[in-house]
Amino acid sequence: MRNPLSRRIWREIKGETGKYVVIFVFMLALIGVASGFFVADVSLKEAYDNSFEKYNIEDGNFKVAQVPDGEVIKAIEEENKLKLYNNFYSMQESVGGSRIRFFVDRKEVNKVCVLEGELPKNSGEVALDRLYMKSNELELDGDVEIGGKEYKIVGIVALPDYSGMYENNTDFMFDTEKFGVGIAVQEDYDKFCETNIHYSYSWKYDSAPADRLGKEAIDRATDISKALSQKVQLLDYIPGCINNAINFAGNDVGHDKIMMMVMLYMLIVIIAFVFAVTTGNTIVKEANVIGTLRASGYTKGELIRHYMAAPIIVLLVACVVGNILGYTVFKEFMADAYLGSYSFVSYTTVWNPEAFIYTTIIPLILLSLINFIMLARKLSLSPLKFLRRDLKRHQRKKAFKLKTSIGIMKRFRLRVIFQNIPGYITIFAGIFFSSVILLFCLLFNPLLDQLREDTLNNMIAQHQYVLKAPVPTQNEKAEKYAVTDLETTGRDFTEEIAVYGFVPSSRYFHEKLGDGKAVISNAYADKYGLEEGDKITLKDKYTEKKYEFKVDGVYTYPGTLAIFTGLDDFNEIFEKSEDNFSGYLCDEELDDIDQRAIAAHITKDDLTKTTRQLKRSMGNMMSVFLVVGVAVIVLVVFMLAKVIIEKNSQSISMTKILGYNKREIGGIYIHTTTIVTLVSIVACLPITSFALDKIWRVMMMEYSGWIAPDIPLSAYITTVILAAASYLVTTFFLKMRINKIPLDEALKNVE
Amino acid sequence: MFIEIKGIKKSFGSGESRADVLKGIDIGIDKGEFCVLLGPSGSGKSTLLNIIGGIDSADEGYISINGEKTADMNEKALTMYRRKHLGYIFQMYNLIPNLNIKENVEVGAYLSDNPLDVDDILKTLGLYEHRHKLPNQLSGGQQQRTAIGRAIVKNPDILLCDEPTGALDYNTSKEILQLIETVNQKYNSTIIMVTHNDAIKNMADKVIKLRDGVIRKQYVNQTKVAAADLDW
Repeated sequence: MRNPLSRRIWREIKGETGKYVVIFVFMLALIGVASGFFVADVSLKEAYDNSFEKYNIEDGNFKVAQVPDGEVIKAIEEENKLKLYNNFYSMQESVGGSRIRFFVDRKEVNKVCVLEGELPKNSGEVALDRLYMKSNELELDGDVEIGGKEYKIVGIVALPDYSGMYENNTDFMFDTEKFGVGIAVQEDYDKFCETNIHYSYSWKYDSAPADRLGKEAIDRATDISKALSQKVQLLDYIPGCINNAINFAGNDVGHDKIMMMVMLYMLIVIIAFVFAVTTGNTIVKEANVIGTLRASGYTKGELIRHYMAAPIIVLLVACVVGNILGYTVFKEFMADAYLGSYSFVSYTTVWNPEAFIYTTIIPLILLSLINFIMLARKLSLSPLKFLRRDLKRHQRKKAFKLKTSIGIMKRFRLRVIFQNIPGYITIFAGIFFSSVILLFCLLFNPLLDQLREDTLNNMIAQHQYVLKAPVPTQNEKAEKYAVTDLETTGRDFTEEIAVYGFVPSSRYFHEKLGDGKAVISNAYADKYGLEEGDKITLKDKYTEKKYEFKVDGVYTYPGTLAIFTGLDDFNEIFEKSEDNFSGYLCDEELDDIDQRAIAAHITKDDLTKTTRQLKRSMGNMMSVFLVVGVAVIVLVVFMLAKVIIEKNSQSISMTKILGYNKREIGGIYIHTTTIVTLVSIVACLPITSFALDKIWRVMMMEYSGWIAPDIPLSAYITTVILAAASYLVTTFFLKMRINKIPLDEALKNVE
Repeated sequence: MFIEIKGIKKSFGSGESRADVLKGIDIGIDKGEFCVLLGPSGSGKSTLLNIIGGIDSADEGYISINGEKTADMNEKALTMYRRKHLGYIFQMYNLIPNLNIKENVEVGAYLSDNPLDVDDILKTLGLYEHRHKLPNQLSGGQQQRTAIGRAIVKNPDILLCDEPTGALDYNTSKEILQLIETVNQKYNSTIIMVTHNDAIKNMADKVIKLRDGVIRKQYVNQTKVAAADLDW
């Protein structure tokens, strides 16, 4: 015989429709977003990984000053066991001072992925990169001005060798607004090339290294670099293993998985506790029935299963529907977060068994476990205790002593608080978690603005030139400097540290260097907790050679992890000639240097690229998180405050009978929750701030660079206002709940 | 002897607040016997019933049901004992509010390997036409009848009734007592009923009067009357 108790599960859900619908919708959105994220993550990663074969992505490229003759090309191919492909391009100015790198259709290598429309067939037509179009608000079939002439956009494309919009491989950050790629027909391309042409060659190995980013690939790239420099005049050399335009996007996808998992499971735990508290309340309400059932022979296990059923069914349905939405609606939304930063080729949805485990199995286990522990504890009382409604494990012999000088209403409120301590602890936990989310979202933009301002205020020079070869300048304000990149050691995640060499009494670097002195940027000191006197060991990315530095001071240079030494010390450390330098620092633009000799020209614009791009990429995500934070507060506070009201429904009914008015009753039962909630919101701030500082630091350790978690006061104030406003919404529903309690409720137990 | 109660002692609290509720109870009850425990409030009759039902334990002494001592049973075994042998009726009906009348009776049937027919029980109890109603749509008497149905549907060897008419009016109380009498006669269930209503002793086979935790009087009723003829 089927357990007849199971028939009341559906009725229980129907009877508490409000509670279950709210939790269901919240869970649905949560699981949907998480599932969509995991699916988008895997689908995009798979599309990215497959694009190497599908679009035949190059193994490397180099740029030369002049086109080498056929013999040279043949010799390069034979000696290095590779095949070269002509991948010439022309840079053209377009909307808002942006630059578009134009190619003709590539038939063999780095094949074009047409996302919408078609490739241009006629003169006057172009196909442009999707992300560039989005960033510059261009539309398919619309017009775009290129090099002073109007062109019609007939296609939206993704070039697989430009998934990250890095104009130069040395750029700090990709820039989807100021840099784009496009395809033109031969006729237009030739016209472009009349004013500007770059002789770029891509290569494919005859037999590629197994790991395209591994040591073998790096060694081979080093060998090719040496061989090429003997045959051609190299202007640029970017082997695939270090090409940010190809690799950066692939490395970034999947980076946020841990963050999403932590958020998902924290929210599930909060929901599980909400269920645990509400089910606990049901047990109190049904104590007589439970006592009777237990006295009649129902086992503890049967009752635990019965009371666990409704939450599990709700979560299970939310998981199923959430996953369906995840694979359909939310996948697109979450993919957009990536597609807002990277120019991925087209992707198809991939079934992700991991997403099913993360969004269904683990949440179900978490919810079941927490509810099981709570129920097993509650139902372990003897049947007799249930029959007597004596459910306190440790019965307080006397009530808390409260001074009689305290007014009765205040005492009443205090009693309500003491009676509902577990519920209020859960409210505190919910508010804490929501505050972390809210504060995280609210500090993001101000932090980036602050970083931008600090970066600009602390620029070493207005113009920083990196040269391909040492060339002189007549500008007297120009100052030589040297720079190289080393890598951190001691952790799995390595990141680049820029090592600068400045002249001892630099006009741009305001601290005296030389005599072996090494000063580090405050960003580096903050991120790695370094102080004066500490020793740093870094290594060369390719040779693995280790370098040791002793920290002699910290210099204000936010955003970049760097070590500053004297130029002579730099050349000695890196075994360079005495007159070696990498480029110039100058507050004026250097117009007497041949553009071909410049590897990179770093200006304000470049230094603020990171903050600009992060704002653009993460903006949507922050809005989603903000809604989640508010929803958690509303949900947790409402569910638990509702429990408090239900628990006291007979008392509320009795106070109504006695003649208390709505305001007075609200004063007792809602104001207590208001006090606890508001105190929790404020009390949470220092803990939230501390937790967020730690979370931020751990999170940033997985990313290159540093943004210091200096939470602005405005973020705290907005968090408090948002949290308090979210609570005010719930009080409206709570008042409705109290008004609904009938006068005869108080008479029910007199049966 | 089907139920053997030997030297049962029970006290609550400690030190000065210690209350000896049962001070050594010895009773024997035969299979199919209708036994009434009479006594004023605080006499220990409900505590004794709870100990017999395995939902409370004695400090001393033992209870043996058909040769099995409940004191030797762990919690799981006690649950199985209640599941297999006992039916419980309380003063408060303790019905499940969101199950209808029939389903409430089925809750009892589910526990038994050999339950009685639920519809038959409902007809016997005069609840058949109310079977689809929820408990709060019925009168107190009808609710108590449902509780009796839930208790007897699993065909228990022993039916424990704790003030089953305590919350009912005279006529409804008599109806309920008649039902319990029918159960006793029809299914040969052993019935132990706790009551402070002195009149009910007249329908019992055995009467045990308790006061201050001790048996003041215990006798076999030679002049048993039908429930319908009771008066108080």
